[in-house]
Amino acid sequence: MRRVVTSRLVTIYTMMENHDRSGVGGPSLCPVAAALTGLDGAGVALTTSGHGVTSLCTSGGLAFHLMELEMTLSDGPGVEAARTGEVSSEADLLASATSRWPLYVPEALALGARAVFGFPVHIGAVRFGALTLCRRGPGDLSAEQRADAGLMATVVARAVLAMQAGSPDGSLLEELRGGAELDFRVHQAAGMLAVQGTTSVRDALVALRARAYASATELSVLAQRVVTRQTSLDPETREWIDHRGDAT
Amino acid sequence: MSRESLLITTLVELADNLVDDYDVIDVLTVLVDRCVQTVAVDAAGVMLARPEESLQFVASSSESMRMLELFQIQAAEGPCVDCFRSGEPIINQALDEGVERWPQFSPRAMAQGFRAVHCLPMRLRGSTIGALNLFRKNHGTLDADDVVAAQGLADVATIAILQHQSTLNASTLNSQLSHALNSRIIIEQAKGMIRQALECDMHEAFERLRWHSRNHNVRLTTVATRVVEGILAPTDLDPTPPTRA
Repeated sequence: MRRVVTSRLVTIYTMMENHDRSGVGGPSLCPVAAALTGLDGAGVALTTSGHGVTSLCTSGGLAFHLMELEMTLSDGPGVEAARTGEVSSEADLLASATSRWPLYVPEALALGARAVFGFPVHIGAVRFGALTLCRRGPGDLSAEQRADAGLMATVVARAVLAMQAGSPDGSLLEELRGGAELDFRVHQAAGMLAVQGTTSVRDALVALRARAYASATELSVLAQRVVTRQTSLDPETREWIDHRGDAT
Repeated sequence: MSRESLLITTLVELADNLVDDYDVIDVLTVLVDRCVQTVAVDAAGVMLARPEESLQFVASSSESMRMLELFQIQAAEGPCVDCFRSGEPIINQALDEGVERWPQFSPRAMAQGFRAVHCLPMRLRGSTIGALNLFRKNHGTLDADDVVAAQGLADVATIAILQHQSTLNASTLNSQLSHALNSRIIIEQAKGMIRQALECDMHEAFERLRWHSRNHNVRLTTVATRVVEGILAPTDLDPTPPTRA
């Protein structure tokens, strides 16, 4: 299907592609997030099945140490954004030293950070974690930087979903460009599967994605089959069942 | 009630909503419902531009799968895409004359009994943030008054999105659009759960969310979030009354 895509998302995908080709190695999400917004570092933290948070990747020494700090304290902009689902930012850590994140702020300042920004990584009500950005000087994000960071967080969400579902090597960019997660049926299907398999909508979304890979079916087509009850999950075994005579 | 008094009642109802703490999807759903009643059309929906500028529906006068499919197709092709790109309204476009223009969209719309389509841009300071899409089952045309009323409702839809304070620091247009679009995804996730748990269709699933939201004075998106997070079981949602509120 032809999609209407304008420059900003194309820019992100091109930057990711260039990073992959450059041979620098490692995931492209964090370096691209930092370069896109022109900030000093970026990190992605994922919420685990419990209430914990774990680091997926960081870009730059400052972001690496800030991420370690957040993981140790379970507090800071990323943890807060992941928990609340809202943007969580502090444009000048020096001015907020006593009010917010009392343990995090002095340590972050000591590491050389002056401003930090957490953007939730979510798909609907499913929270995957947060994208954190940092800078060495004080100052809020411009409207453009904020928009870019929000857009980047949606790319991270789709990338994390694909990774957790075991996307085949090298297919991530192609898949992001396809944008199949934007189909409303995918979200309805995830809701239905969550009830069928007595699991979270997050796990159902990942399982649906994984099933699409495993059966070489387009995500939208598989979702349509689920919503029209041609494909379901066995409530006991959580095995996939294709019902007879309904092939599409 | 005459069309004029219906339109006034609608605008007063929407204005009342907008000065209060409201749910953006709920208000837009009221708006498309009233659109069907006040303008001579059979179905209506609001499409918003995603950050990458493909379109996503956020409200529809019918939550049926087939109706939502007509909006889904318009992520890539159809009157809303053309209207969004040009910023110009499309009025009284006969679908049988639009087959070459929209090869995916037109046959599907006709298969559901629609004969004509209209689309009004949701304009904001010289740019377009989305479109109000109207469908009609007979060939008759919208007159000049219908178009004025529909464009007025499209403008109110724009205000509903702009005016919405989703969070303390979410005051930019971009964050308001993202909030509305993500709210719709939350509702789709919850509808899926409700359809499965109550063995109902998607329209009934949506009405359950809406009815529960009204009864308990809790925002529609908050109710849907609680369902998805497992805090509120689908079976604990209030049953809907026999007809749509």
